[in-house]
Amino acid sequence: MTTVTKPTAPTPSSTSDSSIPWKRILLWLAIAFTVIFSLAPVLWQVLTSIKTNAAITADPTVYFPGLDQLTARHYIDLFRENQFQIYIINSALVSVISTILCLALGSPAAYALARLRIPGEQLVLGAVLVVTLFPYILLFLGLLEIVRALGLANNYLALIVPYTAINLPLTILVMRSFFQQLPKDLEDSAKVDGYNTLQMLWQIVLPMTLPALVTTGILAFIFAWNEFLFALTFMTRESMKTIPVAAAQLGGTTLFEVPYGPLAASTVVGTLPLVLLVLFFQRRIVQGLTAGSVKG
Amino acid sequence: MTQDYIRQREKRTGWMLVIPAVLLLLLVYAFPILRAFWLGFFTENLSTNLQPEFSGLENYGRMVQDGRFWQSIGNTAIFTVFSLLFELILGLIIALALDQAFRGRGLVRTIAILPWALPTALIALAWRWIFNAEYGVWNDILVRLQIIGDPVNWLGDPNWAMVSVIAADVWKTTSFVAILLLAGLQSISQDLYEAHSIDGATPWQSFRQITLPLIAPQIVIAMLFRFAQAFGIFDLIQVMTGGGPGGATEMVSIYIYATVMRYLDFGYGAALVAVTFLILILVVALAGLGLKRLQANAE
Amino acid sequence: MFNFSLNRIALTWRRRFRWVALALVSGLIALTYGLIVWAQQPVTISFLVRAVEADQMQSLANQFMEENPDIRLEMVRGPNAADAVEDLYTTSFLLGDSPYDLVFSDVVWIPKFAAAGWLEDLSDRVSDEELSEFLEADVVAGLYQDGLYRMPFRSDMGMLYYRTDLLEEVGLEPPETFADLIAASEAIQEQTDTNWGFVWQGSQYEGLVTNYVEIVAGFGGFWIDPDTQEVGLDQEAGIKAAEFMKQVISDGITPGGVTNYLEEDSLRQFENGNAAFLRNWPYVWAEANKEGSPVAGKIALKPMVHDDGQQPAACLGGWGFGLSATTPHPDEAWRVVEFFTSPEPMKAFVMEHAYVPSRRALFTDPEVLAEFPHFEQLLEVAETAIPRPPIGQYAQLSDILQRYLSAAITNQMTPENAMQAAARESRRVLGVDA
Repeated sequence: MTTVTKPTAPTPSSTSDSSIPWKRILLWLAIAFTVIFSLAPVLWQVLTSIKTNAAITADPTVYFPGLDQLTARHYIDLFRENQFQIYIINSALVSVISTILCLALGSPAAYALARLRIPGEQLVLGAVLVVTLFPYILLFLGLLEIVRALGLANNYLALIVPYTAINLPLTILVMRSFFQQLPKDLEDSAKVDGYNTLQMLWQIVLPMTLPALVTTGILAFIFAWNEFLFALTFMTRESMKTIPVAAAQLGGTTLFEVPYGPLAASTVVGTLPLVLLVLFFQRRIVQGLTAGSVKG
Repeated sequence: MTQDYIRQREKRTGWMLVIPAVLLLLLVYAFPILRAFWLGFFTENLSTNLQPEFSGLENYGRMVQDGRFWQSIGNTAIFTVFSLLFELILGLIIALALDQAFRGRGLVRTIAILPWALPTALIALAWRWIFNAEYGVWNDILVRLQIIGDPVNWLGDPNWAMVSVIAADVWKTTSFVAILLLAGLQSISQDLYEAHSIDGATPWQSFRQITLPLIAPQIVIAMLFRFAQAFGIFDLIQVMTGGGPGGATEMVSIYIYATVMRYLDFGYGAALVAVTFLILILVVALAGLGLKRLQANAE
Repeated sequence: MFNFSLNRIALTWRRRFRWVALALVSGLIALTYGLIVWAQQPVTISFLVRAVEADQMQSLANQFMEENPDIRLEMVRGPNAADAVEDLYTTSFLLGDSPYDLVFSDVVWIPKFAAAGWLEDLSDRVSDEELSEFLEADVVAGLYQDGLYRMPFRSDMGMLYYRTDLLEEVGLEPPETFADLIAASEAIQEQTDTNWGFVWQGSQYEGLVTNYVEIVAGFGGFWIDPDTQEVGLDQEAGIKAAEFMKQVISDGITPGGVTNYLEEDSLRQFENGNAAFLRNWPYVWAEANKEGSPVAGKIALKPMVHDDGQQPAACLGGWGFGLSATTPHPDEAWRVVEFFTSPEPMKAFVMEHAYVPSRRALFTDPEVLAEFPHFEQLLEVAETAIPRPPIGQYAQLSDILQRYLSAAITNQMTPENAMQAAARESRRVLGVDA
C-alpha cells in the first residue's frame, strides 16, 4: 500500500508545440484555479479578522477594508477577553510532546521492521496499515472509558497518549521506508567497529535519519495541532483547552450576535503556525505524505 | 558467537524495539474497538443508572428500527460519495497542472497543500462564515454575478446545508488527493507519451490510455484513505452545522457522539461504533482486493 | 561512498543531544514552577452560563462578591445556544473533573443530571415553606425521584398572544378552544387584510416540542408519564395534537414556512401585523410593545387554547441553580444560590431585564406591576404551567419527537404514522413494551 518515495526531481519539460498555444492557456487556467481555490477562503478569513464590526456586517459587502475600517480589536479581544495565550501554549505543549514521543517510539519500531528479522513482522505491518484508516470516532468511546477510569480528564496525558498513538502508524511507515533506503554498509561497518545494535541505532543511524525524523515530526505535529474530537471530549476546563476547540466554542456577547471578527481572528491565530510550517517544509511534507500515504 | 546466537539476539532486540509501539497501538486502537463490540451487548444508560446490564442483541434490534440511524447512514453515504467524486476530479486537475514545468511551481505547490495542513475545525469556522445567510461572501458573489436573485440560506436549508459541507470538505482534502496523484504522475516516464504521440494519439487519448491506467493504484489508495476519513467525518460537520438543520447533515459520527456524550447511552453508542467499524472494514477490504487486482494487471 | 568517520557522527550527536536534554529539563522545571504558582488561589465558585446571560447577571455577581469577600464568583461565558451549554456541562461532569461548582440549568436538564448523580439533593438545605414562595410548577420541575435538584431563578412559559383590535373588528371574544382559534383566525383572515391567523414554532428543535406539549395537554393527553413511563404519543390525544398542527398549516391559517420558524421568526410575523395569534414566551410582550412596533398597544396575552372540556396548559421553561455533587465547596456554592434566588436580587434582575420571576410574590409586587402591568395575566398563565416529562433520557426522547413531528407537519408522514413511529422509538429508549 505504501508508495515508494520518489525524489521530487523536476519532470522534464514537456515538448512545447507552438501550433497549440491553448495547451499553455489551459495550464495557466488550471494554475490560476489552484491558487484561487486554495487561498481564497483563508484570505477571506484574514480580511474579516482585520475589519471593524461595522465593516463586517456592512451592505454591500466590503471586500477590501479602507483605512477607517481596519482594526486590531478582534485580535486584542482574543487575548484580553479570552485566554488565547493559554490555548496556544496548550496546543503547542501537547503537539510537541506527543510528536517527540511518537518519534521516540515509532523510529525504533520502524527500524526493527525494516532491518531485523522478527517473527510476526507481517502481522504488525498489516495492522499498522489498517489502523491508519480508522476514524477517531471509533476510538473515542473506548478512550473515554480509559480517561474516566484513570481520572485523566483535564490532564495533558489524556491528549498526549492518543496523539502519540494516532501518529505512530504514519511514523512507522515513513521511517521504515527511509531505513530501507539507508545503505546497509553503514550498519555493517558500525558492527565491525564494535557497536551493539542499540548503540549503533542511537549514535549512528539516528543522526543519519534526522531529515526523515524532521519530515515525520512535522506531519505528526500537524495532526496533533489539528485534532478536535479528543480535545473536545477530554478537556473540560477552560485552562486546558486547545486552540481548535476554544475557537469553535467562542460565544458572542448578545444572543443574536455571532462574534464573526474574533472567530475569524482565532482562525488566523490557530492556522498561522501551520502556514509557516507549510511555507518552510513544503517539500518534506509532500515527501512524507507520499511515503506514508497518510490521512487527509 | 554462533550464527544462531546472533540471530536470537537480533530477534530479541527487534522485539524490544517494536513492543512499546505495539503496546500503545493496542491501547489506543485495539482496546476501544474490542470494548465497543463487548459493550454493544449491554444496556448502559440513564435508565440503568449508567451501570452495564447484559441485554444481548437488544441494541442491534433497536438500531434496525432507528430511523435516525438510517438517516445518518444515508447522509454519510451521500457526503462520502460526492466528496470523493469532486476531490478526485479537482485533485486530478491540480495534479496534472503541478506535474507540468512552469515558473513558480514550488510556490504553487506550497499553496496547493495549504488547505490540507490547516485545522479542520478552524476551517469549518471559515466556511460557516463564507456561507453565512446574511453577511456571507458566497451569497454576495453569486448575487453580484446574477447567478441567484436572492441570498440563499446555505446552512439553514436542509439540501443546501449538505451541499455546503461537501464543498468545504472538498476544499479541505483535494490537496491531499492531488499530492498522492502527483506522485503517481511523476513516476510515469515521459518517453511513453512521446512514443504515443508519434503514433498520432491526441493528448486526451494519451491521458485515457497512459495516464489513467498508470496512476490507477494511486487513485485507489487516495480514495481509500479519503473514504475512511469522509466516512468518519466529525469536526467539520460539528462546527459548521452541528448535524442540522433538523438532522439534514447528521453523519454517523455525529450521531454516535450525541448518543454517548449527550444521551449518555453508552451501550447503544458502542453498538453504533461496532456497526460503523464493520461497514468501514467491509469497504476497505473490497478496495484492498481491487487494488491487488490492479497491481496484478499492471505487472 | 561512505568514507566518513563513524565516531565523528557519534560525537557531534552526543554534543547536540546534551543541549536538547538541557532544554527539556529546564522546560520541565519552569512548567512545574508555573503549576505550583497557579495552584495557590482563593475559594472560587464557578459556573458556566451563556455569554449573553453572564453579562446580564454580572451586576448581581458583583453585588454578591462585595457582600461576601471570601468568595470569588466566576461565571464562565459559554456559547449562546442552550444545547451547547448543556453539552459542555455534560462533558465536564461525565469526565469526572468538573470545573463547575454550580449548574445554571434549563429546566429540562435536571432529570438527566440528577439521574447521572451529578447534582446534590437540596431537600435538606431548603424548607417546604421557603419553596412554597416559588411558582409550584417551577419547584416541581426541579424534582426528580423525590429529590430536589434545582432552585428556580427565572421562569418561562408558553402562552397565546392575540391582537385585541382584530378581534374587536370581527366581533369575537378571545378564543378558548382549538375550534375557537380556528374560527377566529378564518374570520380575521377573511374580513381584514391580515394574512395569517396563527403563528408558532415549527422548526425541528426543542421549541417544536414545547408547542406540542401544550397542544397535547390541551387535548387531555400527555407525551410521557414519568411515573409509569407510559408513552402517550400514539394515543388519541397524541395523534390529534399532531393532526391539529398539520391542519392549521394545510387550512392556510398558519404559513407553510412555519416548519422553519424559531421564536424570532414567528414573532416577526406577529410584530409586523401579519398574524392575529402567536404562541410564544413572555419576552414577546416587551418586544412587541416597544416603540415603533406596528402592534404596540394592540395585543394581549392569555393561556393557550384547549379542547372542549379540557384545561389549558403552558409549557414550562426557565432557569435555576443546581449544586454540583462533586464541588469541594458546597456550602459556599449554596450561599451563591441563596443570594440569587432571594427576593431582592431576583426582583432587581426582573426589573432590569424583563425576565419572569420564579417567586410568586413578585408577580403582584406593586413596583413590578407598575413596570410590567401584564404580569397579572402572566400569573394566570403561570398557574397552568406543566413541565416537560422529568425523565433521565429527556434529550433523547425530545429529539425523537422533534424528528417525527417535523416529518408530520412537512408532509413526509401522516400524523398518525409519525406519532406511532415516535412512540415506538421512545419505548425502545425507555426500555418499556407497548
